[in-house]
Formats: sequence, structure tokens, C-alpha cells
Amino acid sequence: MKKVKKKTLKGIFFYTRVVLLVLVLLFPFIIMLSVSLKHTAESIAYPPTIIPETWTIKHFVDIFNPNIFPYIKYLGNSLYIALVVSVVAVLLGIFGGYALSKLKFKGKKTVSEMFFLVYMFSGILLIVPLFRMLSAIGLKNSREAVIICMIIQTLPTAIYMTRSYFDTIPKELEEAGRVDGLSRMGIIFRIIVPLSISGLISVFVYAFMIAWNDVLFASIFIDSPNMMTIPIGLNSLFNTPDYVWGRMMAASLITSLPVVILYGLSQRLIKNGRTEGGVKG
Amino acid sequence: MKPKKIKLGRSDTRFAYALLAPSLILLIILIGYPMIYNIIISFQDVPINPKLASEFVGLDNFAAVFRDKSFYHSVFLTLIFTAVVTIISTAFGLAIAVFMNREFVGKKLVNSIIILSYVVPAVCLIFAWRYMFNNIYGIMNYLIVDVLKITDEVPLWFDQPASAFILVSIFAIWKFYPYAYMSFVAILQSVDKSLYEAADVDGATGWQKFKVVTYPAIKPTLVTVVSLRTIWVFYIYTEVYLLTKQVDVLGVYLYDMAFATHDFGKAAAISIVLFVVIFSLVMLIRKKVLRVEES
Repeated sequence: MKKVKKKTLKGIFFYTRVVLLVLVLLFPFIIMLSVSLKHTAESIAYPPTIIPETWTIKHFVDIFNPNIFPYIKYLGNSLYIALVVSVVAVLLGIFGGYALSKLKFKGKKTVSEMFFLVYMFSGILLIVPLFRMLSAIGLKNSREAVIICMIIQTLPTAIYMTRSYFDTIPKELEEAGRVDGLSRMGIIFRIIVPLSISGLISVFVYAFMIAWNDVLFASIFIDSPNMMTIPIGLNSLFNTPDYVWGRMMAASLITSLPVVILYGLSQRLIKNGRTEGGVKG
Repeated sequence: MKPKKIKLGRSDTRFAYALLAPSLILLIILIGYPMIYNIIISFQDVPINPKLASEFVGLDNFAAVFRDKSFYHSVFLTLIFTAVVTIISTAFGLAIAVFMNREFVGKKLVNSIIILSYVVPAVCLIFAWRYMFNNIYGIMNYLIVDVLKITDEVPLWFDQPASAFILVSIFAIWKFYPYAYMSFVAILQSVDKSLYEAADVDGATGWQKFKVVTYPAIKPTLVTVVSLRTIWVFYIYTEVYLLTKQVDVLGVYLYDMAFATHDFGKAAAISIVLFVVIFSLVMLIRKKVLRVEES
């Protein structure tokens, strides 16, 4: 009996700590949600409330009204940049990952170390020359300049990730494809790619997140409000009459949604990875 | 089938480079060339008007940077910031990973909550912080002054260098610890549970178990996590810049020099200095990290 009691006590103690941890970590998100559902007057009242006294979904409706808030415009720009970047990252990841995983060639070690070095660098170190170069070819104030920079940012990890997924695919499958008369490209796209869909989705999600969350390159290359992505667009509204706390929080929550969902999806897919299904026995 | 195989083996190199070509070309144009161009710019006085030619000024930009008091201030801030954020975010991530390393109801949910701050865009998190630490109606001041009664004098959080530094540090730790957590969780799962049971039989305390069983298992991961985080925090820009204008770490100093002061020559010189420091760091740890990544 005593032992059981001790165990329950231990369990209660453990869950208390879990709940406390979760509350502290979630606190900023709770505040975001709370402010997004409050009337503006209540969001700047003192003392502040955590649970809104009067609830409203007005802010969520307002941010999608282009006449009063530019969110949809930013959303379009962000989607365009993030989608192009992630599609390119996946494609280059398939090519580069296949070469590094399945092929033996001269200079393989050098190439793979080079990608690794770039993975650690990049970011702010090259903003000056990149800005000068891309401005010189007329890409100033353009979303394409951001896309180019984000592709190079995500490329090393994309190749590295695809390579490790491809590593799990047994050689026998490729040989079977060869026997069936598939070309080399055919082997990649008919055998390797379908077997690593979940891995490739993770690569897509990774690149999408990096591009979606980017502030640095968007702030360097984009000046006009029409081109702005969500992060720099929302940030540019700070200290303007458009800066209504409820709207900013609602916009933040909506902006977080795609990356949180995509990330959750990719985690689930990795766990149920299906490459094992390819070879039996 | 044999002859065909040999033929394929021979053409591997050509096919591999054909596949790698787009990536390598991008790498050369967008990383290799800019690195060289950056060195050239650092020796030039670059006029704001792009139509005017740049003038060669030798080492003037470097001299100007090394004469600049705010450069040393930035170096100092960056070193402390990097140490604080790297150490605490790694330790916190590790502590939570150890704490979570057991089966319990709701583990998946807690796991997703822990990762949230890492996944959500920095800007969104920063709005919440700006609101929470607002000087007039912020909930943090309310908690500190009226609920917990810790002090009557709360700082203007974002507008004073010391409090802004603390705020940015906490923010960065909260944003980055999930990376350490995720790295350690994966490794901890692979540690043989019977080792802990054996330690239990020997009457080991929690700390002893960590030292003898956990630490040796996670050490390679620990090296990787600390190394990468050090490098990434060293040239951090976004999180700091969005939160406050009072903490001029090197990334912010460099950005402002290029896009606020519009002195590209000097900005290029700063990035070369940054580059040299980071490159030495990378070379120092490359062997260790690469070995871990390969295994």
C-alpha cells in the first residue's frame, strides 16, 4: 500500500512540474491569443487581464479585409517566396542528395564538406556583396532577390537531409530498376523519390519555414509595401496608426499556423517513414 | 548484367557532377564570388550613388573599424551574449530532455509545446514580448510590481541597454533551447535503460546517474550543439534587431553600417573581421562536428 501511495505522490509531483513548465513556455502564446480576442480598449487597460472580459473575433476578420489592413498582400508575397524556395530546394536536394548518397565520384568528400561549411556560415556575413550584386543586375526591391538568397540559405541543409533519407534506401531496389531498363534519371524519379516522399516533404517543410520566417534578406531587398513579406510588413506597421495590438496578435497567430501545421506533419511523416517497406526479408 | 554494371560505375563521376552542377554553380555565384567581392569592397570607399565609381583606399576601412569605439563595444556585447545564450539554452534544452526522457500520458503534446517557440516566426514572438513588456500596460510589469511585489522600479525594458540586454538574452534562450532539446531527446532515447537500472541498484543519485550514464552518451551531441549554437549566435541579427535598438551585437552593427550609415566599405571590413573569427571557430571544431554528423 505504502509503495502505491509513494508512486501516486511521485506522479502528482511530476505532473505538477510538467504543467508549470508548459505554462511558463506557453505564456507568451497565451497572451497572444488573449489579446487577439479582446477589444482594443481592454488590451491596453491596466491592470491587464489574461482571460478577456468581453470576447471578439473582430481582429481576425479585420486582418483579412484589405481595405483596412494589408495582411493579404503580405501573405501573398510570403507564400510566393516560400513556395518557390521550397520547390527549388527539394529539386536541388534530390539531385545533390542522390549524387552524395548513391554515387562514388572523385571529390565527393570535398563537395560534401563544402556544403557543410556553407551550412555553418551564410546569413549576415555576405549581405554587403549580395546586396551590391543583386542590385547591380536590377533586382533591387524585388521578391526574386529574396528568393535567390533564400535558396542558397536552404540548399546545404536540403542536400544534407535528402542525402540521409536516400542513404536508407537499399541498393537492391536501384538494381532492380536497372534490370527493368530504367534510365538513371528514371531510377531517381521512379524509384528513389517515391520511396522517400516523407523525407522530401520534410525538406520542403524545412525550406518553407526558413523562407517564411526570414527577416534579414526581405528587409534588405524589399522597400515598397506592395512587395513586403509578412515578417517585415507587420514589423513596418509598428508605431503607425495600423498598429492595433489585437490585429498584430491575430496576424501573428495566423502567420504561425502554416509553419506549425507543416512542422507537425513532417514530424509525423518521419516517424511513419515508409522506406522500410521497399525491401522484404 | 556484369559488364553493364562496370560501365555504369565508370560514368558515375560525370553523372554525379551533372546532378550537382546546379547546386555548385549557385554556390560559386552566390557564396564563392560574394566572398571575393566582399574583400574587394572592404578596400574601397563606396559612394552611396551606385553610378559613381568606388575608390581604392587600402586598409582605411579596417583602420576606421579598429578605431571605432562602438566596434569594441559590439565585440564585448557579442562575446557575453554568445556565451550566455549558448550555455543557458543548451543547458536548459538538455535539462528538459532529461526530464522528458520517460513515458507518460500527454508526452506528445508537451513535446509539441516545447518545440513551438523554435518553429514560430521570430516576428510573431516578438510582438508578444513587446506587448508583455510594455512600459505602461505590460503584464510583466504588473506581475513584478503589483502581484509578486519584487520591486517598485521596473526599467523601461526595451530602451535601456542593461534591461534590453537581459530581455534579448531571455528571448534568444527561449527561442533556441528547443534545438538543443530536440538534439538531446533523440540521443537519450538510444541510451540503454538497463544502465540506469544498474546505477539504481548501486544506489546512485540523479546527478551521479547523469555523470556516469547520460553524459558519456550525449557528449558528441553536446559538442555539436554548443559549436553550432556558438557560431549562429555570434552573427545573430534578426532576433536582436527586431526586439530592441539598444543591443548592438556585431550582426546589428554590421547591418546598420551597411543599411543605415550606408558605408559599404566599412561594413564589408566588419564582415571580414566577423568572417575570420567564425572561420577560425569552424576550422577548430570542424573535425569534431563532421565526425558526429557522419556517424
